Amino acid sequence: MKLLFDLPTRDEQAFLAVCAEDEKRMYCVPYDFEGERRVSGFMVITDKRIYRILEGEVLDVWSLSEMSDFSVETFYGACGFYAKVRGNSTLLCRFISGRNLPRYSVLQNACDELATGKVRVVSSNEPERFCPKCGRPFVVHTKICPFCQSKKEIYKKLWGMTRGLRLMMLFPLVVAMIGMVIRFVVPAVQKIAINYYIYPQDNAAPSAVVETLRSLVGDVGMQFIVIVICIVTLDLFHRALGVVQSRLAAVSGNRFTRMLRALLFEKIQMLSMASIQNKSTGDLMGRINNDVAVVQNFITNLLPTYFAQLFSFVMALGLLVWLSPVMCLFIFIPLPIAVFCIVKFWSFMQKRNVRAWILDQRTNRGLQDVLNGIRVVKAYGNEEKAIDEFEYNTAKQSRQEESNAKLFDTLFPILGFVVHFGSYLIMMFGNVWLYQGSLDLGTLNQFNSYAGIVYEPLMQITAIPRNISAFITSLSKILEILEEEPEVSDIELPLDIRIEGDVEIKHVTFGYDSYNPVLKDINVSIKQGEMIGVVGHSGCGKTTLINLIMRLYDVTEGEIVIDDVNIKDISQNALRSQIGVVLQETHLFSGSIRDNIRYAKPHATSEEIIAAARMANAHDFIMSLPEGYNTMVGEKGYSLSGGERQRIAIARALIHDPRILILDEATAALDTETEKLIQDAITKVTKGRTTFAIAHRLSTLRNADKLLVLDHGRLAEFGTHTELLEKKGIYYKLVMAQHRATLAKQAGVEV
Amino acid sequence: MANENKTIDKTTELSAEDEKLFSVRQSIPMTAENAIFRRSEGNLISLTLTQPDGTVEEFERVVPVRAFPITDPDEFISIKEPDSREKGKGAELGLIRRMSDFDADTQALLREELDRRYFTPVITRLTGVKEKFGYFYWDAETTAGKISFVMTNVSSNIRTLEDGRVFIHDIDGNCFEIPDPAKLDKASLKKIEIYM
Repeated sequence: MKLLFDLPTRDEQAFLAVCAEDEKRMYCVPYDFEGERRVSGFMVITDKRIYRILEGEVLDVWSLSEMSDFSVETFYGACGFYAKVRGNSTLLCRFISGRNLPRYSVLQNACDELATGKVRVVSSNEPERFCPKCGRPFVVHTKICPFCQSKKEIYKKLWGMTRGLRLMMLFPLVVAMIGMVIRFVVPAVQKIAINYYIYPQDNAAPSAVVETLRSLVGDVGMQFIVIVICIVTLDLFHRALGVVQSRLAAVSGNRFTRMLRALLFEKIQMLSMASIQNKSTGDLMGRINNDVAVVQNFITNLLPTYFAQLFSFVMALGLLVWLSPVMCLFIFIPLPIAVFCIVKFWSFMQKRNVRAWILDQRTNRGLQDVLNGIRVVKAYGNEEKAIDEFEYNTAKQSRQEESNAKLFDTLFPILGFVVHFGSYLIMMFGNVWLYQGSLDLGTLNQFNSYAGIVYEPLMQITAIPRNISAFITSLSKILEILEEEPEVSDIELPLDIRIEGDVEIKHVTFGYDSYNPVLKDINVSIKQGEMIGVVGHSGCGKTTLINLIMRLYDVTEGEIVIDDVNIKDISQNALRSQIGVVLQETHLFSGSIRDNIRYAKPHATSEEIIAAARMANAHDFIMSLPEGYNTMVGEKGYSLSGGERQRIAIARALIHDPRILILDEATAALDTETEKLIQDAITKVTKGRTTFAIAHRLSTLRNADKLLVLDHGRLAEFGTHTELLEKKGIYYKLVMAQHRATLAKQAGVEV
Repeated sequence: MANENKTIDKTTELSAEDEKLFSVRQSIPMTAENAIFRRSEGNLISLTLTQPDGTVEEFERVVPVRAFPITDPDEFISIKEPDSREKGKGAELGLIRRMSDFDADTQALLREELDRRYFTPVITRLTGVKEKFGYFYWDAETTAGKISFVMTNVSSNIRTLEDGRVFIHDIDGNCFEIPDPAKLDKASLKKIEIYM
């Protein structure tokens, strides 16, 4: 993200006129509100002062040494950048939220540093969300500007991707071309049939083809039959080619899709959590499914069609000119009018279709709303209202659809008439010339056939640009993933060590966005076999800390060391195969309980599976299921209770005998009874393993050797239960709060 | 350690000292009598607040927030401490029932700050709209000058209220208002009509 913009010339001059010579320019960012107006001003921050510059004038100068408490506040339709100047809160400037909020979020930290005399340029690797060239936003979750992307570049990359498939993809194109040529030959043969046999004319010019035919076959009737057979054969051949083309396109299209999907999926699996978290599951699924389908359809279906159409259009025009330049005028003159009408018609229909689409969305949204909340609707007896609303929406939508359909059905034939107006001219003048004898029937027939080929692609002409741009966007979305560099990657020669379980967190600072640290300077050392309870308010960085230990993310500053080895030097495979994880939402894959337990160790023996299940207190309930360990679970399988799923997840975490165990709110969703069972399991499994347990219910952490209390990303307290209670700090307050809630519950008061 | 747990479990009541940990500030109704707003040194709003028990509190800066910014902008104004990075969300100090409970100067002072925080230019003319892959690029003339803005998801970002006003939210978090679409010129109306 850019934090040092260039000032426009007159602003630059104004700034240079007032700033001191030894001042160092640190940041320069735009601000865009002044009173009631949208403006284009700049905030320049040097190592000593802050300047507000607008239209060649320096409006304010503040001295950093007098300032403190920089903050950004989000309003409605704008944001403000505040600071205390000599202890008084002051509004420094206002700006548009979406565009500049991340910039000012960095600045508030940066200015705080500068104000305390620490001169250091804070940078941000947060991606820009707006095109630096045109200022328009990128397509969501991407760095694609639909206006500025280089198409040439994209085509080049696509060409590279088709390696190995090129020949196969070329075939349908070649076949389509041959098919086109045949389409042109058929009317020429028909012409011979008409001019020499059906309606023979004495003054017909001698034709080489007919002469050859006559010399081969004596009988006139037979000659005619040969010609008819020719026409039929050509037609059959043309149709056969169509079949071949479709089959080839199906094969190459599917191969291409398979190749692209495999590439994408492989890449997504390789990417780090950080970049996956940036994209929603829906977005990724969309790219694998829809975007690939769009690209495939374009390459294997649309592109050959466009090529063939362009090819036949040009060829037909050429032949028409050759046949009769005068009659060509009848095609050329109405052509611009026809194209104009087609473009107008589609843009007119497009607008009305958008309107219908919006109404359709509204109906759907309303429907979803009511169906999801059907219990609430019933509970409040609001069925009538729901029905009225639905009827209002559907009535509006159906009226729109109805009028669209009526208009389309009326206008489309009229459009057809306009577009084909040229052929009426041909018919009229053609017949006149035919009567006068300056044109023969065969040629007229041939001419009409070619004219039909010229008109064919016209009706769809407006869809071409839309299809091309949809293709380009989908393709660039795919390329974006394929070209992303994994953030967390193994070093060149990663170590495959056997972990003992000593974990040291050395001055670790981390933020998902660099300017907004979630964890600040965490420094603790944990001995092998200790159970550490991680405690703190929601959003204080507990899960983040655990993500760092699993190395789903790399730390921003500091290092995490396991058994004296920096985890960056350990291969990700070795690291994760020795860490067992139980999360709050236990995701069980579709499959049997057995498959799920041995997920982390596919070749685990049945003894091992049972041992792990026993340890997790899961064996007994599994044995009570009719199909035992072969019971199917997952989305469509046997429905297990939360506690049962949780125990399977614990067994799964234990199967490969991990040295480090992570329990992230593993018991949060359970009732007290099941919690006891799991608690019991946890006590068993944590023995001898370094364990990190996050829990909201502090009673879960009864057995923790030490508690790590986080507060706003800082390590607030670290010590045993007793030590922390005596300290009367945050932990004490948390314990008291839960104690109070329990008391209230006992007293029958609802909390 | 296990002993420690027991000692807590046995307690039936929290000590007064422990209860204090959970005390929350009470928001009070604000009137001209108990709340005096002044322009602060930094050109923002300062407040002297008298609690019902007679204690007087000074706040260097307070922030007015509307409860119903769209339907009742001049009623139910919450007066809060500003949010801060250390303390988190600012607590509500009190609630103003209606602006007219205060004298003209105070109203002007509050309104000045409210106008800064609720920035909703009124669209007077729409000069262009272009669609590309679900993104809508608009050009408009507004009371805040010429503005170009970008929008996705038109069906939910162009909101028509029951009273006929239209609110438009763009991708940047800006908000625009059309008080009465029927009063727009024909060309502008034609551009936005289909999305309403």
